[in-house]
Amino acid sequence: MLNSKSITKRVFRWETFLILLLLIEVLVFGLINPRFLMPRVLLGSINNFMTISVVALFVTLVLVTGGIDIQSGAIVGLTSITIGVLWNDVGMNLYLALVIGLLVGTACGALSGFFVAYTEVQPMVVTLGGSFLYSGIALLITNFSATEAYKGISGFPEEFSQFVRGRIFGIIPHQLLIFLFLVIITYILLHRTKYGRYVFLCGVNKHAATYCGIRTKQIVMSTYVLSGLGAAIAGILLTAYLGTAKTDLGKEITLPVITAVVLGGTSNLGGTGGVIGTALAAFVIGILRFGLSLANVNTQYLDIPVGILLVLAVAIRFSGSNPTVQKFIGKLRRSKDLRKNN
Amino acid sequence: MHKQRSIPRATTSIIFLVLMFLGVGLINPAFLDINNILLSLNSGVVFTIVAIGIAFVIITGEIDVSVGATVGMTAAICGNFVRDGHPFLGLSIAVLVGVGIGVINGFGVAYMKIPSIIMTLGTNGIIRGMIYVYTGGRWIENLPMEFKSLSQAQFMGTFTWFYLLTLIAMILIYVVMNRTMIGRYFRAVGDNANGATLLGIPVKGTKMVAFMLSGLFASIGGIMYTSRVGFITPIAGMGYEMKVIAACVLGGISLSGGVGSVIGASVGAAIMASISRILVFLGFPSDYDNTITGILLIIIVVFDSVIQHRSAEKMRKQRLAAKVVHSETASEVREHA
Amino acid sequence: MKEVHSDSLLSVRSITKAFSANKVLKGIDLDLNRGDVLALIGGNGAGKSTLMKIIMGIYQQDEGDIFMSGELINMSKPSIALAHGIYLVPQEPMLFPNMNVLENIVMGFKENPKTLQKRLKDLMKQLEWVIDLNRKAESLSIAEQQLVEILRGLLRNSNILILDEPTSSLTFNEVKSLFKIVEDLKQKGIGIIYITHRLTEVFTIANRVAIMSDGLITLSGPVENFDYDMLVRGLLPDEVTMAEHSTENKSKPVDYANAKPVFEVKNLCGNGFHDISLSVYAGEILGLAGVVGAGRTELATSIFGQDELLSGSVSIDGVDITGLNTRDVMDKGLSYVPEDRFLHGIFGISDVATNTTSSKLRNMSKFFIQYKQEQEITAQYVKLFRTKVTGHDQLMSSLSGGNQQKVVIARALATEPKVLILDEPTRGIDAGARGDVYAIIQELKSKGIAILLISSDFEEIVELSDRALSMFSGKINREFSKNEITQDNLMAAAFGVTKGRVVNA
Repeated sequence: MLNSKSITKRVFRWETFLILLLLIEVLVFGLINPRFLMPRVLLGSINNFMTISVVALFVTLVLVTGGIDIQSGAIVGLTSITIGVLWNDVGMNLYLALVIGLLVGTACGALSGFFVAYTEVQPMVVTLGGSFLYSGIALLITNFSATEAYKGISGFPEEFSQFVRGRIFGIIPHQLLIFLFLVIITYILLHRTKYGRYVFLCGVNKHAATYCGIRTKQIVMSTYVLSGLGAAIAGILLTAYLGTAKTDLGKEITLPVITAVVLGGTSNLGGTGGVIGTALAAFVIGILRFGLSLANVNTQYLDIPVGILLVLAVAIRFSGSNPTVQKFIGKLRRSKDLRKNN
Repeated sequence: MHKQRSIPRATTSIIFLVLMFLGVGLINPAFLDINNILLSLNSGVVFTIVAIGIAFVIITGEIDVSVGATVGMTAAICGNFVRDGHPFLGLSIAVLVGVGIGVINGFGVAYMKIPSIIMTLGTNGIIRGMIYVYTGGRWIENLPMEFKSLSQAQFMGTFTWFYLLTLIAMILIYVVMNRTMIGRYFRAVGDNANGATLLGIPVKGTKMVAFMLSGLFASIGGIMYTSRVGFITPIAGMGYEMKVIAACVLGGISLSGGVGSVIGASVGAAIMASISRILVFLGFPSDYDNTITGILLIIIVVFDSVIQHRSAEKMRKQRLAAKVVHSETASEVREHA
Repeated sequence: MKEVHSDSLLSVRSITKAFSANKVLKGIDLDLNRGDVLALIGGNGAGKSTLMKIIMGIYQQDEGDIFMSGELINMSKPSIALAHGIYLVPQEPMLFPNMNVLENIVMGFKENPKTLQKRLKDLMKQLEWVIDLNRKAESLSIAEQQLVEILRGLLRNSNILILDEPTSSLTFNEVKSLFKIVEDLKQKGIGIIYITHRLTEVFTIANRVAIMSDGLITLSGPVENFDYDMLVRGLLPDEVTMAEHSTENKSKPVDYANAKPVFEVKNLCGNGFHDISLSVYAGEILGLAGVVGAGRTELATSIFGQDELLSGSVSIDGVDITGLNTRDVMDKGLSYVPEDRFLHGIFGISDVATNTTSSKLRNMSKFFIQYKQEQEITAQYVKLFRTKVTGHDQLMSSLSGGNQQKVVIARALATEPKVLILDEPTRGIDAGARGDVYAIIQELKSKGIAILLISSDFEEIVELSDRALSMFSGKINREFSKNEITQDNLMAAAFGVTKGRVVNA
């Protein structure tokens, strides 16, 4: 069924495909609206999909183990408002508040991760409950604030926002560099450390992993902890970029995040994939939406091509293992051989 | 030691619902006013009907996160046609669209073997976008009074006709699912798909039907929504999928399939719909809504999983112990001639 | 092709089936007539269950035909088999855990539920089997589940009933009443294929017997033509299929008088085994024979830390390792090569290098993967075992079974164990690779590793072991010294035949 090409070669092919897609998009959108090709505009578009991209990087680890995480959006909002309230109403040092924000996100991930790993509940349900719980807690926290929930907390110090909003030479956004930094970190973690190898092994065959002495429960739980941390980081970045702390910052990111991870080559069954693919896919999706919006397509329609892209990508990959398709390919091969022999 | 008769999970949920109501009533007796209770239940009618639909899919062991988008789309279609004076046409097309979405989902999951979470996540995105295309981003308003008042019509001053019809549908479905052979296919497929294949049960066809029903009921929910709310925005139905999945879980339906009933789904929906009212009556601001839902969901699901695993572990040990022959209890030793 | 009579209920001709590189069925011919009870016996991996699944339409054969009453049938799915009156009672019960007994039994039937229930109650009365129909299936013991599966089969008015090891968990009385029913069905002209490990049952219930070995039917005929010894011998393969390899024993024979055992198990009790005592010396291979379900794998996996131990002790070089988790057991010097390579052994979509180092990874470095070292270790074992790979980056799932097994063994050795437990090391491997694996095992022995060889391939135990034990129903029932290790003796002991006496469960 599988040909004997190695895993690296297979993934390499998919990621090349993504890079190709990216180039096509830039070309097409550039033709439609030349403004698109201006470095300032093109690179600046990254700011629009940074949250999704950052979260997707970390959620990749969860999917590699065969799990799923749909609570990241809630954690983004929770982190944001926690920081806001701590800084604004409690009067805490902003940087201390940021650290606590990270801890909060990590704790949220740990809670859900614990249940998934140690009680073997389905990840979908626990993180669904988590999304309710954490968004609910975020709302409750605003009660501690003088500001109303819908307004959000503003007035953060200039350096804070500038750090995230700024650009080098007026062109390259800081966020791009931050993102690249995160990509490098998660890449090393997942693809170059023992830990990352364990994560993959747990996803490929959890039973075999336990027979190798790997502590699979710990590993699985840790992926949710990291996912929570990633959502917290994304929350901080978004809060700084917007200059406002609000509870619903991460409201609609679940679909795009999962789409980015799956489109990036990570199977929801676990065992394959990687952060590079996720990062590329996040860009493919982000640029797609940005380019379409520049081409005056209504922002609300933008989910359609993303949804189609997701279904097609998965269908193509899964059709490889569909028995009807295999028989068909087998027939094609045999008829080709027959013709050759004749 | 062994459960002789298992208590249907819906019963546990009903007991929980009743206790919940009674508990609140103790703190604030105004809650137990009959009109208030009816109001609570009636207000959850859209959740209930959509939850009944998605229950089919979950019982077969799959998931459908596109139901919220389906509700929004069918509500928009229905609203459009009703406003322009073609109510029956609108209803028919809305239902057809709902079933059509179900067919697409079912095809992808059952025949193309795409994981249902991904398939329905994709169709969800597509439909959400299509709603904007269809409505042009505008609200659909100015619906005729007669249509809107349909949702208010009550049966002898108690349940609305909408809710009553939903309950009747729920009972009929329950009977079909538990008393007819074909109705049981859903549970069989979710419980043990391989065992079902061995008995000749059409697994793919069953899943397809489940998705079609999910789409169908979501469309009916969309129609009810149109009448109840009276105007449709492009984000109508947003987030419904998560709420009805939570409703099913609260109602005793397991996401792994094979367990639960539409009655449980309805009870779970009633619980979900009542939570915000309950919080008001308990003196909590509605802000606690999500938090309580989240905690409930997690507790119930973790509890359930732990119990299941305990009994599975016990079974395994028993099975192994049965294979060991103890010479003290060997029943026969025969000489071979 | 042998002729197919139009009055034979079921006939299969030249059935072959392979899973990836593994040929399970190599050309099966079988006939079942009305009123036959055909006992089908064979060792593990002989292909019996696969053949039954093909007849039932669950799998499709690669080549060959299925005939019923002389008519060719395309058994593409179970509903077709059911429609033609075939029913398979599976070896492992496949009930619906969340439905009650009654629902489980009547699922899939198309007749009136009232009459169905009455027939069921009559049947249960006839069998004198008492089960509460309202109990949830998951609460049933495995024996009860098996009864329910059998009831399902009996209730269908099948023409052909396949019973795959139906009595493995039943009590003596339950078995007796089952046999009464089988007699009954025989009289009615129903054809029954009866798969079993228990040779006594063959003589009690069957009128014909067929012996399957290594994917082929080696012997068949009326039961009167056979006795125990013939059956036992028929279970052994005809030719000795050994690839060429050097079998000169480079190792010194173990000095049992003066040496102390490296690996000692004392009165060990756990899930699936009871009161096991054995010891293995350095540079020795101790064979452990038995059939599936005898408890050998449970013994090994429990020692390895995958399941709890109830009482007794295990030690390596005097160091107690009882009850330690897998990681610690490995650290103390014991490695285990899992029985089910596919489920517990291989990381299919990972490459050869990853698979080789997955156990050693922990000790190779602090944080980062040491790629150079990983490649060196992989290269070392690929060379040593002559593993056929296109490169270290080849996907594990595309290797042949034999080469996969070599990688799994390499993984177990990479941690440099003192004690190695091999569980069915050559299952599903072709003859050539088998020879290679035997050479590897001999090599390990000469290096002084203590080896416990669990195998249902008795030829293998004869070939490799210095001493042997056999396990039956969770206990050790016979010990063999070197010259007592013959396939006949092992086979007999594994099937519970000890010194001419038959012990019934």
